Amino acid sequence: MVTYIVRRLVTAVLILFGASFVVYQLTALSGDPLEDLRASNAPNREQLIQARTELLDLNTPAPLRYFGWLAGAAKCLVPFAATCDLGTSIQGEAVTTALARAMGNTITLVTTATVLAIIIGVSLGIITALRQYSGLDYGVTFLSFLFFSLPIFWLAVLLKEFGAIGFNNFLADPDIPPTTIVVVAIASGLIWSLFASRSWKRKGIAFLLGAVAAAALLFLLDLADWFTSPGLGPIVILVTGVGIAFGVVLLTAGLRNRKALYASLIMVALGLVAYYVVNPILNGATVWMIIILAVITILVGMGVGFLLGGYDRGQSMRAAALTGVFMGLLIVIDRFMVTWPAYVGNSRVRGRPIATVGAETPGLDGTFWINGLDTFTHLLLPTLALLLASLASYSRYSRASMLEIMNMDYIRTARAKGLSERTVVMRHAFRNALIPLATLVAFDIGALIGGAIITEQVFAFAGMGQLFVQALRRTDPDPIMGFFLVAGILALVFNLVADIVYSFLDPRVRVKA
Amino acid sequence: MRFGRTSKALGVAAVAALALSACAANTGTETPEESTEGEATGGNIRVVEVNAFSSFNSNSSEGNVDINGKIAYATHSGFNYINNDLEVVANEDFGTIEVLSEDPLSVKYTVNEGVNWSDGEPVDGGDLLLSWAIGSGYFNDAKTDDAGEVVSGTTYFDYAGDTGGLALTELPEIGDDGRSITLNYSEPFADYEVAFGTMTEGGISTPAHVLAEKGGLADEDALIELIETAPAGDPENPEERPEVQALADFWNTGFDTKSLPSDTSLFLSNGPFIASAITPDQSMTLTRNADYSWGPEANVDEITVRYIGEAPAQVQALQNGEVDIIAPQASADTVEQLEALEGVTVEQGNQLSYDHIDLNYSGVFEDENVREAFMKTIPREQIVETIVRKINPDAEPLDSQLFLADQAPYEESAANNGSDAFAEVDIEGARELLDGATPEVRIMYNRDNPNRLNSYTLIAESASQAGFKVVDGGLGASDWGSALGNGTYDATIFGWINSGVGVSGVPQIFRTGNGSNFNGFSSPEADELMDELIVTTDPDEQDALQVQIDKLIWDSKYGLPLFQVPGVDAYSDNVTGIVYMPNQTGVWWNFWDWQVVQ
Repeated sequence: MVTYIVRRLVTAVLILFGASFVVYQLTALSGDPLEDLRASNAPNREQLIQARTELLDLNTPAPLRYFGWLAGAAKCLVPFAATCDLGTSIQGEAVTTALARAMGNTITLVTTATVLAIIIGVSLGIITALRQYSGLDYGVTFLSFLFFSLPIFWLAVLLKEFGAIGFNNFLADPDIPPTTIVVVAIASGLIWSLFASRSWKRKGIAFLLGAVAAAALLFLLDLADWFTSPGLGPIVILVTGVGIAFGVVLLTAGLRNRKALYASLIMVALGLVAYYVVNPILNGATVWMIIILAVITILVGMGVGFLLGGYDRGQSMRAAALTGVFMGLLIVIDRFMVTWPAYVGNSRVRGRPIATVGAETPGLDGTFWINGLDTFTHLLLPTLALLLASLASYSRYSRASMLEIMNMDYIRTARAKGLSERTVVMRHAFRNALIPLATLVAFDIGALIGGAIITEQVFAFAGMGQLFVQALRRTDPDPIMGFFLVAGILALVFNLVADIVYSFLDPRVRVKA
Repeated sequence: MRFGRTSKALGVAAVAALALSACAANTGTETPEESTEGEATGGNIRVVEVNAFSSFNSNSSEGNVDINGKIAYATHSGFNYINNDLEVVANEDFGTIEVLSEDPLSVKYTVNEGVNWSDGEPVDGGDLLLSWAIGSGYFNDAKTDDAGEVVSGTTYFDYAGDTGGLALTELPEIGDDGRSITLNYSEPFADYEVAFGTMTEGGISTPAHVLAEKGGLADEDALIELIETAPAGDPENPEERPEVQALADFWNTGFDTKSLPSDTSLFLSNGPFIASAITPDQSMTLTRNADYSWGPEANVDEITVRYIGEAPAQVQALQNGEVDIIAPQASADTVEQLEALEGVTVEQGNQLSYDHIDLNYSGVFEDENVREAFMKTIPREQIVETIVRKINPDAEPLDSQLFLADQAPYEESAANNGSDAFAEVDIEGARELLDGATPEVRIMYNRDNPNRLNSYTLIAESASQAGFKVVDGGLGASDWGSALGNGTYDATIFGWINSGVGVSGVPQIFRTGNGSNFNGFSSPEADELMDELIVTTDPDEQDALQVQIDKLIWDSKYGLPLFQVPGVDAYSDNVTGIVYMPNQTGVWWNFWDWQVVQ
C-alpha cells in the first residue's frame, strides 16, 4: 500500500510540473497584454508600453519566464519559512493573498450547495431506486435532467427574476391571490400523489390530502401575515419535533425499538424546554456559542439514550442525539425567522431581502442573527442554482448503484431470513450502494475549490472562478498559475484519496502491492 | 411500569410546554431593536462599478485602473475638474490658478488657507511640489534601447500619465505663504490648464508628509529640501539616488491595497469623501469627509460602491433595488432590458472612444484617387445604423478627425472639413475615380471584436460594388495590435480615445513619424500647425488651429472616422442628479449633485 501511495505521489508531482508548464505557456499565448496600449493614441504611449513590458517581463520569452515563476513557487515547498512567492497580479497584489481570499469566498459559496446536493441527490436516488419505474421515478428523472441540461447562467437569471425580484415584490405586499393558492395546491397534490404507492385510489387520496394541506397552509399563513413576520412558535416546534423524532427513529432504529423512540421524544420535550431557557442567551449569540450548544445537545441526547437504552444502547443514543440536533436546528430557524422583520426593515436592506449579487450587504453591521440572515439571503440563489444543476449526477449514480445492489443475492438472502425491509434497505443495501459514490464525492470536493466560474460571474461573487477569469482577460499569468496550482493539487490529491478510500471501503478491489 | 412512567413524563412535559407557550410565548424569542443605521440626513447611494478597487494611488502604472481614478476623484480635491460638456471648470474654493505671464508661460498655483488633509495637516506647497516632481518625471534618468529595455539609469516615480507637459517646467519654488508654487514653462504648453492638480486626474492626491515619513525621511521639510536640492535627472549621466528611490518605491506600490489599511495615513482625503470600509472584490464604502468645505459639497452622506462585472447582473441588481446607479458595458441587449424596467431612468450618449478606418499612404492607396474612391464606398450611415443606433438612437456618423460630437467646435469643423462629401455612399463616383481599375485592398481589424467585424463586413461589401477586391486581413485579439503599422495591410479599422480636453494627443496621431501615426500620414503644413497648436495656450486659438488641421487631414483623404462608441447608464427613481458623462470619470463627475429622493 505504501509503495502504491508513494508511486502515485511521485507521478502526481511530475504531472503537476508538466501541466503547470503547459498552462503557463497557454496563458502567455492566450492574448496580448499590450493590446489596449498598442492602439493607444496617448502622448505617452511608448512609456506606458515600456512600463508594462517591464512589469510583466515581456521581453523574456514565455518558456523562460516560466522558470522564473517556478523558482518563486518552489519556495512554497520550504515548510514554515513563509517564503512562498507565487508572484503578483498586474495590479500589484500578491497572488498568495488573492488566493487565500478567493478560496475563502468560494468555500462559503460552494460548500452548502455541495453538501445539500449530496444529501438530497443521494436520497432521491435511493428513493427512486426503491420505486423503480413509478411516477415518482420518472418525475425525479425528468426534473433532474431538466435542471442538469439548463445552462446555469440562464437558470441563474430565472432564479433572480422570480426568486429575488418577484419574491421581494411579493414581500412588499404579501397577499396571495386565490389563483396562486389553487395552482400551488394542485402542484402540491401532484407531488404527494407521486410519492403514494401504485393504486389509483391511494394516489387520489394523496392528491386530495396534499392539495388541501397546501391550500390550508397558504391560506393560514396569509391570514396570519406570516410572510412579514415569520416564526415557528412552540406548538409548531413541538409538532414538527415529534414528527422528526418518529422519522429519525424509523430510519435509524425502527419504530419497534420503543426505547429509541422514547429517548427521541424526551429530546423533543427537552428541546421545547430549551426553547424557553436558552432563548435569552441567544441574544448575544456567536458562531462558537451555537457550536458549543450543538455539542451539548449531542452529549445530552447520547446521555438520554444511554440511560434509557437496554441492550442496544447505541441505537437509542444515536436516535436521541440526532433528534436533539434537529430540535436545536428548529430553535435556531425560529430565532432567525423572528429576526426577519428587523432584517427586512434595516435601512441598508430597504425591504428587499433576497439579493441577486454579492456575498453581503455592504455596511450592514448587526447581530449574529442579522448577519446570518444576510448571508442566507445572499447565498440562497447561487446555492440553489448550483444545487439544481448538480442534483442529476448524484441522484442518477446512487439510483443505479442502489438498483444493482438490490438485485444482489445477499439482499435476497437477507429478506429470506426474515429481516425487516428497513433493515434490508438501510443496513444491507444503502451502505454498500454508497461505495461507488465515494469516488464521485471525493472528486467533487476536489473540484469544489476550483470554483464555479459561471455561477460566480453571474452572481458577482469574488471567488476562485472570478480570479481565474479576470486574470485570463488581462493575460496575467501569475494569478492563473496560483489558481492552477490549488485546483491541480486538489484534483490530484482527491483522486488519490478516492482510490485509497475505495480500497478501504470495498475489500474486493483492495490493491495488493 | 417503565412504559407508563415515560408516557407520563412525556405528557407532563408536553402540558408544561403548552402552558408555558400560552403564558410566555413571546418572552423567549425577543430581539433587541436594531438601531437604525445611517442616522444621517443625506442618506446613502449605491453605485455599481465593473472593476474592483485596487489602489489608493490611481496615478501609478499599477494603480491606473478606472475605478481607482473614480475613488481618487471622490476623495481628493484639486484646482479644477472637467464637466460633461468637456469643459474645464475651476474649483476656486480649493485654490487658484493664476497665469502670471503668457510668454514665457508662468502659472502660479495657490491652495486656499484652511484646506486640510483628513488628518488635520494642511494641504500646502510641499504637497504641490511633490505632485510636480512626480508628474514631471524630474528625477528620471533612464535610457532605453529599441526593444524597450532600460540600459542605464532609473525611472523613479512610475507615473501613468504623460510627463511631457510638466517636463517643460523648471524646478518650482514654494511661495512665501508656503501654500503656492509657480511653474515656469520653457515654452508655452497648450494643455497647461489640465497639466497639474486636475481633479479628474486625482487632484492633489499624495500627501507629502505621509510619503516623506514612509520613504524614510524625517518630515515634509526634508522632502521639500530633497526635491529642491537634488539635481534634475540626466539620462546621459545617470546617478544613484537612494533617497528618491525609497520615496518612489513607496509611491509606486505602497498605496496598493484591496482592503482598508489599518494605517489611516495611507488613505488620507482632502476631498468630499473618505474611504471607510472595503470588502475586497465586493464593495467599498465612502463616507462624508467631515472637515471638507473647499469645493462642491455632496448631498449624500455615504456612497457605497459595488463591483459587478456582468451587464445583465447589473441590470437585475438595479431592478431588485440593491443598487441605485449602474453604468454597464453598453450593448443592444442591455439597453433593451433597461428600457423595459419601471422606475428606472436610462441615459444614453457617446463615449470618448471612436472607431475609424485609416488608409495607408503607401501601397495600393498611394494614389489619392484610389483613397478617395475607397472612402466614397464606406457606408458610414449603415454602419452607425447597424452597430450604434440600437444603443444610442441619436447617434450619427462622426464627421471630424479631431473633435468629438460632444465638443463645442465639432459643428464648425465638420461643416468646414469637407466631410459632407462622404456622408452618402457614392459607388458611381468611386467607379469614375477608379476608372476601371480593380485595386486589391487588404483590411486589417480585430476579428474578435463584433463591432469591428460588422464594420468590416459592411465596408467590404460596399467597396466590392465599386470594383475593389477586398481581402479580409482580420486578426485575432492577441495579434492585431502588434500588426498596427507593420505594412502588411492597406487599411485598418480600430479605435482611438480622444482625451476630450487638451490637444497633446493630436500630434501623437497625426504628426509625421509619431508613435501612433500608423498609416504614414505626412503633411508639412499640418505638422507646422500642430507645432503651433501645442504651444498655443488660448482655447479659442487652439480650436481655430484644430479646425484647420482637421481640414488638411480630410483633404488628404486620410480615411474616415466611423462612429463614437455609445455608452449607457441607468439609475433608479430613488436618486436624482445623475447626468451622463462621456469621459472616463463617467457618472461620478458630479457625484456631489447626487441626491436621495426622501
